[in-house]
Amino acid sequence: MTDVVLQGLTKRFGAVPAVRNLTCEMTPGVTGFLGPNGAGKTTTLRMLLGLVRPTAGTATVGGRRYADLPQPRRVVGALLDSTGFHPGRTARQHLLISADQSGLPAGRVAVALDQVGLGKDADRRVRGYSLGMRQRLGLATALLGDPEVLVLDEPGNGLDPAGLAWLRGLLRDLGADGRTVIVSSHVLAEVQQIADRVVILGEGTLRHDGPLAGMPGLEAEFLRLTGGVA
Amino acid sequence: MKAELRKLTTARSTWVLLAIAQVIVIAGVSGLMLRRDDPASDAAQRGAIAHVGLVALFGLLIGILAMAGEYRHRTITDTFLARPRRERVVLSKVVVAGAAGAVFGIAASVTALVADAVWLAAKGSSIDLANGVLGKTVAGGIGWNVAFAVVGVGLGALITNLSAAVASALAWLALVEGVVGELIGGGARWLPFALGQALVGLPNSADRPTVWQAGLVLTLYAALFVAAGIGVTTRRDIT
Repeated sequence: MTDVVLQGLTKRFGAVPAVRNLTCEMTPGVTGFLGPNGAGKTTTLRMLLGLVRPTAGTATVGGRRYADLPQPRRVVGALLDSTGFHPGRTARQHLLISADQSGLPAGRVAVALDQVGLGKDADRRVRGYSLGMRQRLGLATALLGDPEVLVLDEPGNGLDPAGLAWLRGLLRDLGADGRTVIVSSHVLAEVQQIADRVVILGEGTLRHDGPLAGMPGLEAEFLRLTGGVA
Repeated sequence: MKAELRKLTTARSTWVLLAIAQVIVIAGVSGLMLRRDDPASDAAQRGAIAHVGLVALFGLLIGILAMAGEYRHRTITDTFLARPRRERVVLSKVVVAGAAGAVFGIAASVTALVADAVWLAAKGSSIDLANGVLGKTVAGGIGWNVAFAVVGVGLGALITNLSAAVASALAWLALVEGVVGELIGGGARWLPFALGQALVGLPNSADRPTVWQAGLVLTLYAALFVAAGIGVTTRRDIT
């Protein structure tokens, strides 16, 4: 049971404010992390993961900043849209490197590969992977440490319909396990099927934070809260 | 550390560079031995084995690739997620790239000595492994490789755009050090490439720094690059 807490989180890139005084708490279960392009979702997730330095405020996981977690990969798994893979390495090599540098046993690699259905393609070079396969490899990396918290930026990108159905099941199971699953996505129909709660950002500020149940219609609410036109 | 080693050995560029380095050493030794009519002299032997030092360019590239290559392929995100203490990431890379520089230097030394021996035999002479000049040149050449590999890591941390980092390194070696050298006159012998040459006993002039001076100042350069690289790396936003 690990909570993610953002407190007064703020980031300016030069003069441009990306995230403004964001305070919210994400608890076990699946949280849809939503907002239009440029709302500050990715910047927020990157601050949470210690990749971007907040201008002000804090982001903590179970009460500690990411950089202060002794074994961060065992607590937080992340899939970011721009996580890269060296094209010349195989999926297995990628995960072995990831396991090594995260202090995880090499035995976790095969488990994660099976979990995302990449077992039979594990020894091919990533160069020949489809977008969907790369996405599965990214998910495998996130799951490598069997973490309590998952931070997933657009995990459905590039997945085919069968892949999306599989992902939905996986995320629901992870949430039902009592893990804190934060999913950023633009595909509201998908979010609606898996999320317990939604957090909506607009222009770097918090617009909504609450359970999905009882929301009149996610898309209509989203558009109303973020100033979009239906 | 183990992860850094795996990154190095699973990248094909490492092995390609290692292979090309040997070709260049063989070509360099052969070119010199073809020209000299005193191939067994100390000067010719030093000149031949000094080609080991030129492989330092490859050590430099290995160092740059280890750091800037991670930005190029965006694997840096995964690396910093796994190890948020970024200074430790840079230091592991320094150790592994430095070791790789040593391996490149040792491989090039073996290649150079074999090529040298073959040429001497072809010219009716034979290699004198007991000659201190050979040992000193080999040791200096390996040191040059290690130092440049470490500088490469620092440079790759400062200039994370891989092409820009490689271009800067090549431009410095091919052009800029010469121009700067002309500007500062006598100080030119304390610039990185000149110091590397001093390590292998070149050029043959009286005002060249001693091997120990050259080693010390080159180590200082490497330390400065790494320190600056760490300073920048720990502050950088990975977006």
